[in-house]
Amino acid sequence: MKHRTLLAAGLTAVALTLTACGGGDGEDSTSDGPADLRMTVWTSDEAQLALFQEIADAYVAEHSDTVSGISFETLPFEDYTTGITTQIAGGNPPDLAWIFESSAPEFVASGALLDLRPVLEETDGYDAGDLEPDALRLWESDGGLYAYPFSNSPFGVFVNTDQLTAAGQPLPADLIAAGDWTWDRAAEIAAATAQTSGKAGLVVRDFDFALWENLGTIWSSFGARPWSEDGSSCEFTSPEMIDALTWIHDQIFTTGALPGPGTTADFFAGDAAMTVTQISRASALDGSFGWDLVPLPDGPEGHINVIGQAGIGVFADGPNADVAADFLAYFTNPENAERLAAYFPPPRTSLLNAETLQGANAKLTAEQLQAVVIDGIPGAVTKPAHANFAQLQAAIRAELDALWTADADVTAVAESVCAAAEPLLAG
Amino acid sequence: MATATLGPPRARRRLSRREDVLTGYAFVLPQLVGSLLFVIGPLVAVVWYSLHDWNVLANSFTYSGTDNYERLATDPGFHDAMRASGIFSAGLVLLNVGLALGLAVMLNQRLPGTATFRAFFFSPVVVSLVAWTIVWGFLLQADGGINGFLSQLGIDGPNWLREGPTAMLSVIVVQVFKNVGLNMVLFLAALQGVPKEVREAATMDGASAWRSFWSVTVPLISGTILLVSILTVVGSLQVFAQIAVLTQGGPGTSTTVIVYYLYQQAFQFQEFGYASAVSVVLFVIVAILTFVQWQTRRRWVFHEV
Amino acid sequence: MVAVFVLLCVLAVPFVFPTWWMVTASFKPMSEILRIPPTLWPSSPTAEAYGQVFDLQPFAQQYWNSMYIAALVTVGTIAVSSMAGYAFARIRFPGANLLFGVVLIGLLVPAEVTIVPLFRLVNWAGLIDTHWPLIVIPIVGAPSVLATFIMRQFFLTLPGELEEAARMDGLSRAGIFRRIAFPLARPAIAAVAIFTFLHSWNLFLEPLVFLSSRESFTLPLALTQYVDAYGGPMWNVQLAATTLTVLPVLAVFLLAQRQFVEGLANTGLKG
Repeated sequence: MKHRTLLAAGLTAVALTLTACGGGDGEDSTSDGPADLRMTVWTSDEAQLALFQEIADAYVAEHSDTVSGISFETLPFEDYTTGITTQIAGGNPPDLAWIFESSAPEFVASGALLDLRPVLEETDGYDAGDLEPDALRLWESDGGLYAYPFSNSPFGVFVNTDQLTAAGQPLPADLIAAGDWTWDRAAEIAAATAQTSGKAGLVVRDFDFALWENLGTIWSSFGARPWSEDGSSCEFTSPEMIDALTWIHDQIFTTGALPGPGTTADFFAGDAAMTVTQISRASALDGSFGWDLVPLPDGPEGHINVIGQAGIGVFADGPNADVAADFLAYFTNPENAERLAAYFPPPRTSLLNAETLQGANAKLTAEQLQAVVIDGIPGAVTKPAHANFAQLQAAIRAELDALWTADADVTAVAESVCAAAEPLLAG
Repeated sequence: MATATLGPPRARRRLSRREDVLTGYAFVLPQLVGSLLFVIGPLVAVVWYSLHDWNVLANSFTYSGTDNYERLATDPGFHDAMRASGIFSAGLVLLNVGLALGLAVMLNQRLPGTATFRAFFFSPVVVSLVAWTIVWGFLLQADGGINGFLSQLGIDGPNWLREGPTAMLSVIVVQVFKNVGLNMVLFLAALQGVPKEVREAATMDGASAWRSFWSVTVPLISGTILLVSILTVVGSLQVFAQIAVLTQGGPGTSTTVIVYYLYQQAFQFQEFGYASAVSVVLFVIVAILTFVQWQTRRRWVFHEV
Repeated sequence: MVAVFVLLCVLAVPFVFPTWWMVTASFKPMSEILRIPPTLWPSSPTAEAYGQVFDLQPFAQQYWNSMYIAALVTVGTIAVSSMAGYAFARIRFPGANLLFGVVLIGLLVPAEVTIVPLFRLVNWAGLIDTHWPLIVIPIVGAPSVLATFIMRQFFLTLPGELEEAARMDGLSRAGIFRRIAFPLARPAIAAVAIFTFLHSWNLFLEPLVFLSSRESFTLPLALTQYVDAYGGPMWNVQLAATTLTVLPVLAVFLLAQRQFVEGLANTGLKG
């Protein structure tokens, strides 16, 4: 008897796990009654979450027939995409999700996301024509818009003016006025300041010799990009990229303008002369040293703006996809977009003015906002993205490690990067 | 087992054989159901996934036969991971077992302060793994505490976590410091089980302390050495958090051990089918290693203590 | 003798220093943590980070989560593994060896291998973002197999005469276990308790996958959450939180280190 019971229990266990696979197709495609919506986010900032909840509650109050509640679920930043993927694999996808720009092509191409364009265009008062076309490009495919880029944060350079002055260096603001704000000048100043302060010079934030895509802020103005526009061929061996990588290598290992691998230097703690990062980090400044925010320096190809984006998508397979899309249209309508602008520069041209953004970023002056944000979004390039990004990121990171030694052969490394990347770009 | 003769005695009086059997089943039932539900079931599911091409985002799950296994055979990334795991496990077992035995022998001398030293060496075992690794991550930075200390001695330390050979060495050593205390305690218990007369007899024979250690003590505790080695090898193949915190598999792929590779494939690249094939191979390797070590036990182990 | 003593002192450094560094660094301002060369003692100690630990996250709740989960898992594992270990060691029943073999497979399966099917199972049962999977799976699943193995090794060494005598007194099999065998197994139980508590306390991958709201997080997961809104690490706060999670366990260990170490030594793993 016992044997048979045990066997039955075992078989149930196996059957259970097996029937659970194959995706959440067993679930209802339509739901009855008001829906409970869930949006995954990576911020754990209480103020931001409170604002989201406020907007969501207002929506629920207006639409109690279709929605009973909306919750925001914070997944750890580091493991964010892992978290959503596990939920999808487990047959429990969120209704809406924030999406990193780097994985945008992957999500857009997968067919997992709902085309938002019809909903946004049909919603009264949404004014979809106000959206900045350059900001939407990454999230479009065949005329469809698969996520809304709610955050468009331009990259700029934060400068510790105290350290520069102490080292007798010119301030970038003056160089900009003189038309002399170039990567070479920035590196010279950084190296000289680092000499004097004994701290780090110019830190490309978050790069940390692993997240190489952040170097795009530098190489874009060298005219370089990691792969072709259509994502099919590797361009690490292009003359522009070789120049850019050589420049970066020299600044690390020859002039010391950029800190070397294995060094942690936090600009906002006063450990560095300058840092390249997104303007939204201004909130980390506490007034313990004098600082300025300036646009990215010019490279051999002139001035190129770079922005970091984040999108919100709606999962098409979810039982409440239509309701979720309707909520997204509400969440990002002109009024709410203006409120969200407190933290996330919106893709709406009507809101990209100094007054709107000033309210949000009290620490930044109107001039800084104008120069870096308002002039920085139209025509900007985004950080590298690809349908195979996760694998490309890892493969290229592994090959680039060879570049981060003093005697590296840049051309040889670039060739091995392309050798590793080509199969992934083709696939 | 030395206790083979201590098998269950025959039933007597009120204790019927039937009751015994029923109690036996009842006692193992929770563990058995748990094993079927949470170990065997999921394992079967993983084998099943490994025969499929599973694209999570596109929600496609199609049978692909042995494609994933064929890909394993030709995937240089997987071969690198196997090699890294081999180096890691070999290095870890040698260093860990060697140091644990050395510490146990020293502490067995009954010096003053033995209890304090024992507590020191054991304390990392109770410190959370993630915390331990994060702190070492700071210390091993190019300008971190280790190199700061070395520069005081006039030594220009390497960039530990960023250079191929030292990165692997660092990961191994950090792991050894974390867990060697556990093995040390097990050895200490075994050493205290070695009768003093045996060792004294050997020394009176004129054998040096060193030789008597190798020829008398080591054979007497060979059972413990083997068991500790098995547990250490099996544990070493499952190392993950240390790699994730310290090196993220780099530089290059030099510290991408097999579980880290598995994690990348499954959760970063969403290749669940392929990752499942890696899982199956990992399981088979662990099973074979354990089986082989268990078998050698019969041949090598001189004495059961 | 002196040489051995000096050697032990030198060897102790890498075991003790990291903990020292962690505790002192948590009292340093952010800029001093990364100072080159590192400082041994905070130059201007501040407990500011400790306040932020509780401001930025429901840390007390998370602490409680970890405590009660680890406590339940420890008690549950002792019950399940001592029963199973006793049955496998002392009771002769058909298929015992086969069933023991089935159970032992759990010893060979890394958590990463079965996490995806386990997630599906938990999701199917509707238990995502609850503590159930973190309690039930360790008690009867793969993590408890080592405990069962330790208990079995211990019960194998019990003298048979004890049971004989109990039988003469008319005790049932379950009674023998409860009144005689289990109380005698105290050293092995101590070892199992230590292993199990530490394992649950340090669990990272499973909470990462099974939990989603910060109120339900356990400590190891919470420690990775001390980042600013853009993913930048807040080292001082993270180290303060880490210190708070490490010190109590360390203190209990130092107070009870004799029982700790002897308990482990008596696991029956030595033969």
